Amino acid sequence: MAKNKVSFKLKSKLSELDILCQHLERFGQSIGLSPKCIFEANLALDELFTNIISYGFDDKKEHTIEITITHRNNKLIFNLEDDGIPFNPTQVDTPDLECTIEECKIGGLGIHLAKNLMDEVCYQRCKKKNILTLKKNIKEPEPAKKRMKG
Amino acid sequence: MEIIEENQSGINIFKLNGRLDSNTSQGFEKKIFQAIGDGSKSMIIDFKDLEYISSAGLRVILKATKALKREEGKMMLCDMQDYVKEVFEIAGFDSFLPIVGTMDDAIQSF
Repeated sequence: MAKNKVSFKLKSKLSELDILCQHLERFGQSIGLSPKCIFEANLALDELFTNIISYGFDDKKEHTIEITITHRNNKLIFNLEDDGIPFNPTQVDTPDLECTIEECKIGGLGIHLAKNLMDEVCYQRCKKKNILTLKKNIKEPEPAKKRMKG
Repeated sequence: MEIIEENQSGINIFKLNGRLDSNTSQGFEKKIFQAIGDGSKSMIIDFKDLEYISSAGLRVILKATKALKREEGKMMLCDMQDYVKEVFEIAGFDSFLPIVGTMDDAIQSF
């Protein structure tokens, strides 16, 4: 049976986005997620991770961001923990989406995408860590094809 | 990510292949602004082989579209996969960026 949980650590650098993608694809495929669902989960985590490493640290040191993904009762639960400065993405204003091209600004867009692709986003600050919990409802995954004998 | 540049009847075509995220968007920005700097006024970005885009990729496209508009040029986006198009829609970018189905549609719009 496929494992229903995976945990991994990413360093605070952009090149780790490839590692994030690899973990998500491997886990997603093992539990039979659709490519669309893997894409959406990847995008939401990418935006939040990129945000953390771009604005979350006020020193030059390398930090670790810990990510856990759990699959339970047709839900995916993502947990992101970092030791950066306190930042609550759920309080970031939605950018003005009705604007014209001249008015359009890019700030806050990544967080807007992440919120849209998830069904719930919760933030906690605990023991000097930012803890983000995201939930995404998924349809019953297709059962993995069994290998036929002979 | 791989970027293939072509020129067809004076239109600069950028074919994107792979993933356009905050890791790869700088390379794309450099190429597209190089072309704008060289005087290109007509551009098509071909999304056919693009698997993934994040807000970092959207940012470059927005910035380039604005820069081209100032030069009275035009940029068309074509052949997006459904997931990629959905990202433009959630961002609200589909309301002001010209996104068309095929490369032929894009070429004919010039």
